[in-house]
Amino acid sequence: MSMRESGRIKDAEKKRVLDDVTRKRRARKALEALEQDNFQQDPHADLVMSKKIPKFNNSLDNNPRRKGRKTRGADYYRIKYRKTFQQLLEEDRQANPNGPNYITAQSPPTSYPQRHFCAVCGFPSSYTCTSCGTRFCCLKCQGTHQDTRCLKFVS
Amino acid sequence: MDSVVCLDNGACSIKIGYITDEKPKVIPNCIMKAKSEKRRPFIGNQIEECRDISGIFYILSFTKGYITNWEVQKNVYDYIFSTEFPVNFSDTKLIITEPLFNFPIIQEAMVEIFFEEYDCCAMAKTTAPDLCYYQYTNTQDLDEPPLCCVVIDVGYSFSHIVPFVKGKKVLSAIRRIDVGGKLLTNHLKEIISYRYLNVMDESYVINQMKEDGCFISQDFNSDMANAKLKYPENKIAREYVLPDCTTIRRGYLQPPGTAKKTDDYQMLRLNNERFAVPELLFHPLDIGIDQMGLAEATIHAINACPEETRPHLFANIIVVGGSAKFSGMQTRLYKDIRSMAPEFFTVNVTVPEEPQTYSWYGGQYLANDPNFEQSLITRQDYEENGARGVLFDE
Repeated sequence: MSMRESGRIKDAEKKRVLDDVTRKRRARKALEALEQDNFQQDPHADLVMSKKIPKFNNSLDNNPRRKGRKTRGADYYRIKYRKTFQQLLEEDRQANPNGPNYITAQSPPTSYPQRHFCAVCGFPSSYTCTSCGTRFCCLKCQGTHQDTRCLKFVS
Repeated sequence: MDSVVCLDNGACSIKIGYITDEKPKVIPNCIMKAKSEKRRPFIGNQIEECRDISGIFYILSFTKGYITNWEVQKNVYDYIFSTEFPVNFSDTKLIITEPLFNFPIIQEAMVEIFFEEYDCCAMAKTTAPDLCYYQYTNTQDLDEPPLCCVVIDVGYSFSHIVPFVKGKKVLSAIRRIDVGGKLLTNHLKEIISYRYLNVMDESYVINQMKEDGCFISQDFNSDMANAKLKYPENKIAREYVLPDCTTIRRGYLQPPGTAKKTDDYQMLRLNNERFAVPELLFHPLDIGIDQMGLAEATIHAINACPEETRPHLFANIIVVGGSAKFSGMQTRLYKDIRSMAPEFFTVNVTVPEEPQTYSWYGGQYLANDPNFEQSLITRQDYEENGARGVLFDE
């Protein structure tokens, strides 16, 4: 005689659940994406310059006043001042550890509790996806979520 | 007096003009590339000549509010100073803004560029909030100008809350929130792409949609409830007609159901997106940025100032920057700050008519300040001491 068992429990064991670290990484990636300038590729990236196409001078310098003076051009500044934001930030932190600086000016965490919104439709949500922790508000949105985002882009 | 040019160097747009001008020119501070136009990039407001505005690719000189790409910045300057706003800096003084807590090397680069490339005779560096302070304190209809004020600068890369006491920034009380116009546009783009139509490549169009369609909710929960209803009870939902690059150059908003069947333009239905996106300014935690919102951070900043200045600070709050243009900003911010501030203080929140260019107008007061000549970095100074020398007395 076989043991009685619950189908739901059996299903739940098979289900993949993202751990906290992965969830946090996903959230961080989503926030980083909001800082991007573009999501598409440079439309001119695959452009092959042929002789027929006029070449563009990087500098738009056609000011007659400055003729004869040695100008340095945009390249010079790109090479001399090429530090990325992260490098600048790190330097500033070391040079001026006690502030006030960029890091100390950052607003502290809010004292209000987090509000939750359905990732699909944007209305207040009361349910959490058991696999990935995303919020949804109703069965319909849960279905959409599972079909499109839930574990589709797990990294 | 020599002529003086004021240049508000924003991450999204440059505001430039002679201080005697009636209003500044606003020029996008970026280079854009279009899919259809392979022959040339569009610098600054050349984009107006571009007919196909879909899939515009942006090249910005700023990263998180600080200039990191000087090549781009120089190209934009070259364009502006040669074509859009011809100016000879050898007999014109320059007032230029930089971000708060600007990094030393960026200041150095800026000074070097203006003296070496544009023959600048003298320049003064300041920040946009400083200019706002000048503009605000000089334009109040009071017997005495206010002693203190709080400038809330809601910009493109981030928002700053800057308390001023007797003309000086209280550096230790400045608060930054990492929410600005760019993040709002990207967020709107993201949710629309997920919910309706993939517009991830259409920053330019979605930015216009944000400007036209979004507003700041006065009562978030009741607006949410209203957005759930069906039209016509629903007062939030609107259709946004997308530009088609032939007859419609810029999209526009219309009430739902007004489109005729014969109209074959593309539409997007906007509902709770209209106010949930700007709401991030007040609740960054809604998308997981654990920082205070504008109102809470303002209280926090004021409480970091000396106690005797707080009544003056609460009475003089001014909101500037491109993202302050959302309708409902003044009433909502007043409501939130009023509810958190001690009840015996007067709270005044001002949103000027043109929040984006407000700081530029402060340039004229700075130029007439008796200390202006002293704060200038002159050509002679620069040639003797170099960029680093004039900035940081070593």
